[in-house]
Amino acid sequence: MTLCTAILLAAFAVPADRGGDASTIYLDHVKPILSRRCTACHGVLKHKAGLRLDTAAAIVKGGDSGSGVEPGEADASLILDRVTHADLAQRMPPEGEPLKAEEIAWIRDWISAGASVPANEPEPADPRKHWSFQVPQRPEIPGSRPGLNPIDGFLQADHRRLGVSPRPRAEKAELLRRVTIDLTGLSPTKAEYELFLNDTRPDAYVQLVDRLLASPRFGERWGRHWMDVWRYSDWDGFGQEIRESRPYIWQWRDWIVESLNADTGYDRMVTLMLAADEAEPDSDSALRATGFLARNWHRFNRDVWLNNAVEHTSKAFLGLTINCAKCHDHKYDPIAQTDYYRMRAVFEPHQIREDNQPAINGAEAQKITRAFDASPDVPTYLFLRGNEKSPDKTRLIEPGAPAFLPDSSFAVATVSMSRATRHPALRDFEKQGLMAEARKLIQVANKTLASASSSDFHVQQGNVAVFEARKAALVARIDADEAKLDEPPGPEFKALAHRARLAERAATLRESELALAKAQQSLAEVRSKVKPDNAKSKADLAAAEKALADSATALTANLAKPPDDLTEYTAVGPISPSRSTGRRLALARWITSKGNPLTARVAVNHVWTRHFVRPLVASPSDFGRNGKLPTNPALLDWLATELMEADWSLKHIHRLIVTSDAYTRQSSGPEPNVEGHASDPENTTLWEMNVRRLEAEAVRDNLLFLSGKLDETRGGPDLDPEQAMTLGRRSLYLRHAQEKRATFLRIFDSPSAVECYRRSESVMPQQALALANSPLAITCAREMASRLTKEAKGDHEFVSLAFVTTLSRQATPEELDACLAFLKEQAAGLSGVKLPATAKPESSQPSADPPQRAREGLVHALFNHSDFVTIR
Amino acid sequence: MYDPRIAYPTSRRGFLGDLGMGFTGLVLGSMFHRDGIARAQGSPGVIALDYVPRAKNVIWLFMVGGASHMEGFDPKPELTRHAGKTIEESPHKEILKAKFADNVRVVLEEQANGKTRKTIYPMQVGFRKRGQAGIEVSDWWPEVGSCVDDIAFVRSMWTTDNDHGAQLQFHTGRHVLEGKLPTIGSWIHYGLGSMNDDLPSFVVLGTPIADCCGGVGGHGPGYLGPEHDGVRLEVDSKNPLPFALPSHGVLPEEQRANFALINKLNRMSASKYPEDPALRARIKSYELAYRMQTSVPEVVKVEQETAETQALYGLDRDASKTFGSQCLAARRMVEQGVRFVQIFHGSNGGAGAWDAHDNLKQNHHDLCTQVDRPIAGLLKDLKRRGLLDETIVVWASEFGRTPGAQNAAGRDHHPFGFTVWMAGGGIKGGVVHGATDELGYHAVIDRHYVTDIHATVLRQLGLDAHKLEIPGHKRLEMDFGKPIEAILS
Repeated sequence: MTLCTAILLAAFAVPADRGGDASTIYLDHVKPILSRRCTACHGVLKHKAGLRLDTAAAIVKGGDSGSGVEPGEADASLILDRVTHADLAQRMPPEGEPLKAEEIAWIRDWISAGASVPANEPEPADPRKHWSFQVPQRPEIPGSRPGLNPIDGFLQADHRRLGVSPRPRAEKAELLRRVTIDLTGLSPTKAEYELFLNDTRPDAYVQLVDRLLASPRFGERWGRHWMDVWRYSDWDGFGQEIRESRPYIWQWRDWIVESLNADTGYDRMVTLMLAADEAEPDSDSALRATGFLARNWHRFNRDVWLNNAVEHTSKAFLGLTINCAKCHDHKYDPIAQTDYYRMRAVFEPHQIREDNQPAINGAEAQKITRAFDASPDVPTYLFLRGNEKSPDKTRLIEPGAPAFLPDSSFAVATVSMSRATRHPALRDFEKQGLMAEARKLIQVANKTLASASSSDFHVQQGNVAVFEARKAALVARIDADEAKLDEPPGPEFKALAHRARLAERAATLRESELALAKAQQSLAEVRSKVKPDNAKSKADLAAAEKALADSATALTANLAKPPDDLTEYTAVGPISPSRSTGRRLALARWITSKGNPLTARVAVNHVWTRHFVRPLVASPSDFGRNGKLPTNPALLDWLATELMEADWSLKHIHRLIVTSDAYTRQSSGPEPNVEGHASDPENTTLWEMNVRRLEAEAVRDNLLFLSGKLDETRGGPDLDPEQAMTLGRRSLYLRHAQEKRATFLRIFDSPSAVECYRRSESVMPQQALALANSPLAITCAREMASRLTKEAKGDHEFVSLAFVTTLSRQATPEELDACLAFLKEQAAGLSGVKLPATAKPESSQPSADPPQRAREGLVHALFNHSDFVTIR
Repeated sequence: MYDPRIAYPTSRRGFLGDLGMGFTGLVLGSMFHRDGIARAQGSPGVIALDYVPRAKNVIWLFMVGGASHMEGFDPKPELTRHAGKTIEESPHKEILKAKFADNVRVVLEEQANGKTRKTIYPMQVGFRKRGQAGIEVSDWWPEVGSCVDDIAFVRSMWTTDNDHGAQLQFHTGRHVLEGKLPTIGSWIHYGLGSMNDDLPSFVVLGTPIADCCGGVGGHGPGYLGPEHDGVRLEVDSKNPLPFALPSHGVLPEEQRANFALINKLNRMSASKYPEDPALRARIKSYELAYRMQTSVPEVVKVEQETAETQALYGLDRDASKTFGSQCLAARRMVEQGVRFVQIFHGSNGGAGAWDAHDNLKQNHHDLCTQVDRPIAGLLKDLKRRGLLDETIVVWASEFGRTPGAQNAAGRDHHPFGFTVWMAGGGIKGGVVHGATDELGYHAVIDRHYVTDIHATVLRQLGLDAHKLEIPGHKRLEMDFGKPIEAILS
């Protein structure tokens, strides 16, 4: 049956399974169809042709072409005509499939039944009034009293309302492991365990928290979290060809870690990531932050690159899906298509480059990959239907913030760039390096000349002359570049450029002379060896003569070259524009302004999610109308305002959270919390703590840490992910890109480098295999068993130590019995058996002693214990 | 990326609701989703079967680099007739004016490849009518040619990438510049889950496409999350999967005791934390992992098959041994309920072996020798075991090759018209659907974009492509495709 016949049939027959009165038909059937297919253009966001279809009253009222329906007369009704129109240009909706026959039939039924308007149909709210688009107001803390953590004030109010009694405070050991891993990514040591359990001071926990927040491991732990949100990716590509992101982007990773450790304000971090080159153009340290932009670098397509910059700047910092407005106005939020291109215009002038850094203390010299405005004047146009092939050149798009938000002030002011920034090759250390290199070449050439044989003398003399001329040219080029950097170029520039060109020409002549000398030398050599009857020898002679003639011709030609355009000398390095547009700085200031309703809310939601597993807003990259509502709006707003009032100190928010009752509560108990399960089954009010699994990096890092193999060197270039099983460095230093990731980490859900606003957490047998069979887990177990055996007196103490070290808790009597029995049986079973060694270099050897080997098995079992990968 | 269905620690309602039907369906990842029925209840984003399924499994054979369609399953005698002329000089010059050419989306303009080639290049191989249906197939594919009565050839495929990013596009339905979206295997895994608890449900054999052209994205889950990723297996029972076997000097009996201790300790914790679904899932995952140490090496033990079966797949010949082993392993997998087996042929760390810019004759002759017998063996073996009824075999390549010559003796990339074929699982046999023009340039009759293949496969498995959605990720009409009804029996 074709669509047309379906429509015809539907027109004549109302199937038995449809029916009901007009209001019911409208509410149950017609309204959902219209809201699915029509109201994006004919609704509260937009009313194309003056028509709204989001209430029955509006449909009857109609638009520019008159009423949408003629009650009782379906065939005379405009909307039915348009959805069934034979002319594709006329038929609605203009995009996607036509309405289905059944859908059309429901609309027909409603009109035929009188198109009555249901009573009290609410008018859809103005989308600009959406909660997250309003500046957060600091709410009163319910039940506020001294000593009450405000977070608990908000949650307790919910508990009272729901009649739920939260679980009590967790045991000290459990709490120690929870907060230590949460803040540093590593387990507490046995010493820390004993210290904390024996610390009876009332503020022992607060002291612990302060110590953990001050640990440099904190930045490594939370740096990795923010690297998810800011989509950190090391360079990716095909073989050695870079196709996405940049080498040296690890400098940005190090900046993230250092900034979090220094508790740099979140506002400042965002500003530097978007615009350090405009905010602090001469700070190498700050410039590393623009790795956030360098990450979007794309070899093949500038549009893909800029699309990513727009999409992920807005998702990460604003929780807005501005990317949905690339092809058309946003379907849910009041974001116009123009808004998308206004944000694109912010990024349009920027480019990425690598600047050298001076070598420090003989270490390998590094580079910084950084953003800068390369083309301040490049226009931005709106792409019709998002198609890069169809720019609308009738209208230049100016940079700006989405117009619908309360504070869309967007003050763009150009920023002057220093000489060093514009021309990094002229920085002192670079110039000194170039000159030193030039001098060294002359020195070496002179040395060779001093010991040259008489036949080689001319060539070596020519060689010295070349390097001297090149050095002279370098000096002249530097002088000319310096003058060129003056704004406007100084009056002497022309003369200096001319001099530089002459110096370069002189160097070229010396090169020609050297070539001539070499040709003469070769010819003399060939002649001295020539054998008249030998064809090869003759050919050699001819070739040498020709080479001499060619060199002579080349020299003559170079000498004769007219000095046509003698200002065209070779610059020492590329020179970037003297002014940056200031667009990105304006965007950063707008994002981090206290009048921005989204930024602080989005930030605290990210922090909250990683402490509590469950976010306050379950769609962390979409706070728009299609996103999820906050489970506790007042709490979210209080935290957001608190972040801003505390000068955007993230450590302040961390401290508030981990010292709250909510955080320190038991995650479960022997008895189910009946009211909790009944009234708040999703635990949105945190009547108990949420349990979670260690992230991929924490699984690997803790294996290394517990077995004493962790190398805590911080920072530096990305490491080969293929070496994940044998390297001792923390996992965040392993190369991480979509195609280049460590297998072990991938198995434990390491983040997608493309987009990961929230990690997934799976339980898969591959994870069991990785912990059971990987050389890393096996080696760590063997080494830890060997270490513990040195400390423990007997099996009993060994088991006890192994539990405390691995799981930060004592074994229960039942567990102790099981483990002791295992040690005994395993040792007995292995004795007399020929115990194989391993030939594989990536794991250490098992013990040849059956009891010790059983202990290795026990530690290995504890690494595979569910409690090892679980934070309770 | 976050997938609401596996957020067990926070989804108490889902977990409690799930208890009645066993917790594995909700909690566990790629190995454990039972039939769609388990999926169909309890959690958000679930899919009930939309159609009566005609097939249970898919074997997806992908020739990496771009296999020539005119020297395979879409012979074009006009090429030979007008060889050496330009297309303008031939009677078919109108072809160059077709609007279809506008579909192409170029990644990099300054490339030597991916150009229009106008000097008509003759067919490099003969062809003949084969099977009862008398379908013309080239002489490089004699064995597959003998199976045409079980095959539906779709000779009217098109795609948009003129470069090898089309490999990714063939699997995700989107141009490489639009990112790495879920692949067909991941969608099927997401939609249907597994029929076997001891084996991965979405298996990748052969070397996946290289990172030039989509890389791991070619069998990746995109935003569906890592548990829907294809699991790469080697047809090597000694090392079929990373960390699959006890090693590093651990004895099997020693490991058995270690696993027993792990199990005992975890069960003690489970009685302490009866409400922790992840813990219970982990206990189960260790039991399965332990069995996988046997089941995974076992399923790739193609040497257990009879000599006759091995020969059927070409294991007795050097040229076809590798690919034949993969095809045979694939049969063993679907036999045991593996849902989707993706086999790559011709990965060479770059564009792919089939990328015959020059020397096409030798290149395709050799490559066909590697795959023709194994593929035919697979079809015949599935059929005689009664498995072809419930297994769809798809043969594809990212695009075809130009009717015009490139270099001395090659053809260039050609996204405008190429052939894909399918067999089994309720697909009609002995059918040719769609057509390219006389030169094999444009698909002109019953044109199909690559996702129409996806939709067809999904339809046979009982799924409606449109219902495969997860919140927060808008899919476009082109992502869904339309089932090719004409080839469904």
